[in-house]
Amino acid sequence: MLTTLTLADLTARTGLDVLGHLEREVTIPVTGGIQAQGDLLIIPIALLATGTRAWVWRNVSIADTARWHQVPGTGIEVLRGGTGGNPHTLVADPGACRWTTGVHDPEQLALGALSTTGVAYLIHPEHGGSGIAPGTYVIRRQRERSGATRRSSYFPHAANPVQYVVD
Amino acid sequence: MRGPGHCPDATFQFASSLPERLPRDADPVEKIRLAVALRNEWLAAGLSTAPADRSGAEAAACRLYDMAGASPPAFEWAASPLAALAAVQAARSCYPAIETRCLLTGQPWREMPVAARLASLETSLRSRLDTRIGRAAVAWPGSPGADTGIVWMYRPEDAVLSGISDRSIVVVTVGQSLRGTLTDAVAAPLRAALAEAIGKAASGDQLTPAGGVIAFRGQHDASWIGYYDTRRRAGFGGYASADLGELDVWAALARSAGWWWPGEGLCVMAERPVAVHAEPLTGSHHGELRLHRADGPAIAFADGFGASVLHGTPVPEWVLSGPTVDLIRAEPNIEVRRSAIERLGWEAYIRDAGMRLVASCPDPGNPGAELGLYDDTPGTGRGAPGRVLVVTNGTPEPGGHRRRYGINVPGNLDNPVDAAAWTYGLSGELYATLARRT
Repeated sequence: MLTTLTLADLTARTGLDVLGHLEREVTIPVTGGIQAQGDLLIIPIALLATGTRAWVWRNVSIADTARWHQVPGTGIEVLRGGTGGNPHTLVADPGACRWTTGVHDPEQLALGALSTTGVAYLIHPEHGGSGIAPGTYVIRRQRERSGATRRSSYFPHAANPVQYVVD
Repeated sequence: MRGPGHCPDATFQFASSLPERLPRDADPVEKIRLAVALRNEWLAAGLSTAPADRSGAEAAACRLYDMAGASPPAFEWAASPLAALAAVQAARSCYPAIETRCLLTGQPWREMPVAARLASLETSLRSRLDTRIGRAAVAWPGSPGADTGIVWMYRPEDAVLSGISDRSIVVVTVGQSLRGTLTDAVAAPLRAALAEAIGKAASGDQLTPAGGVIAFRGQHDASWIGYYDTRRRAGFGGYASADLGELDVWAALARSAGWWWPGEGLCVMAERPVAVHAEPLTGSHHGELRLHRADGPAIAFADGFGASVLHGTPVPEWVLSGPTVDLIRAEPNIEVRRSAIERLGWEAYIRDAGMRLVASCPDPGNPGAELGLYDDTPGTGRGAPGRVLVVTNGTPEPGGHRRRYGINVPGNLDNPVDAAAWTYGLSGELYATLARRT
């Protein structure tokens, strides 16, 4: 059970490496609350689905057609970096965690959702590791104000173009 | 990515031999697999930097002139769209103004300039093909995947296996992807660079459709030609055989040349670029690319004409060669400003730009760091002034220093925590509960 791992333990178990200057012997904190890794935000899905009645359309939800992938010990990349960029990788004990990109998000920021029965970790070479307690979470990207009138290719059908922050 | 087009889409592992075409009742996974392969082929054609196949292009253009009821033109080739427009300007009498009301007043077809007739041929072909597609692509009410929006979040293979209809997937992974890359990310910056280059040199002559000068996009027309062609070959329905024949002529042009300008008795054609530098869109599952090069023009022609683009943002040359705080403050376009600040470095900009601090407070989940909300220097821009949120990285750089950078935020947020929350689509109250930032 991956409950009290240090960054050194995690990199050894997963084969994923992080940059040399990061602290490796400190235990990675595990939380069930909102936490950030670089430009990504991990949010418990319940906090994003509180709207009732007229505001239900603003809730984030998992699509009926969503396809879940089991997260292997070697991890799933939830966001590949751009040219020369590093990926954010989700890892967990085999069978404990699953990931889907089929998320309906009115803010158009969701990368996907994870649902885990054991502790899961998000790893990034520059940011180290973030421990995620059992539960269901949405991972959102970060946006900034833009003057773009051109639609984002990520959601070309969208009414408002979204400019994503690049880590 | 440079030189002859190469599409690094590793989503699919292909069988060593792909079928040439598939019937309508083929397995959806096979159809999508072929559609993705064909999309990549058309993408390569759209980004090709090989010298134009001049005889092929001329033959196809002659065929189109014939369909428009005009006799074959003389051809003139130019090294770039800019050189081509110079040739058009020199032969101005071959490009008579187009009376935009001519279609409504019932002016006889043969009296319209040939450029207008060709444009009309293209429009009506696409309309007939769309009508054929529309009849075939009836989405039964309540069927999963009737909304193409969700397809963007899946890789093509996963989308099929999730039960999304292959008709919805092909619209996204071929049509919207090709348009996003070739029309929006490549042709648009090129058109803007061309307009600017003309603007400096022009005598006020109307080198526009109203002035009779219509540019056809050659290889960049692969964005629509590739979509219709892929649908046909991957089993998404057929077209009338006359329409197929016409589509094949446009396709021959898309595979052989750059932009071209048809006139009366003369057709000016531009060579393809000699270099195209592009990168995949972060997080994209459908093979979209955008132009990017940090040490020179992202798209360049043999005569030196080209466009500078950084991560998809067209930028003036000074952004690449020498961004300064003063140049950035004077720049009205927020995208260009952001690219230039990233080139200069946020630390230098924060230190030297003299932005006015609105408010600052501790950064939730990031002990020892502050959020700073600043008024954006107004420059000469239009629109409501925005603000910049200066944030500090949660993890240190190799030297131990923690990097600071700015994020553009709306100007109507007064509280730094609300501004930070806005960047993630959250309320300030929720964001304030952030447990940890790395």
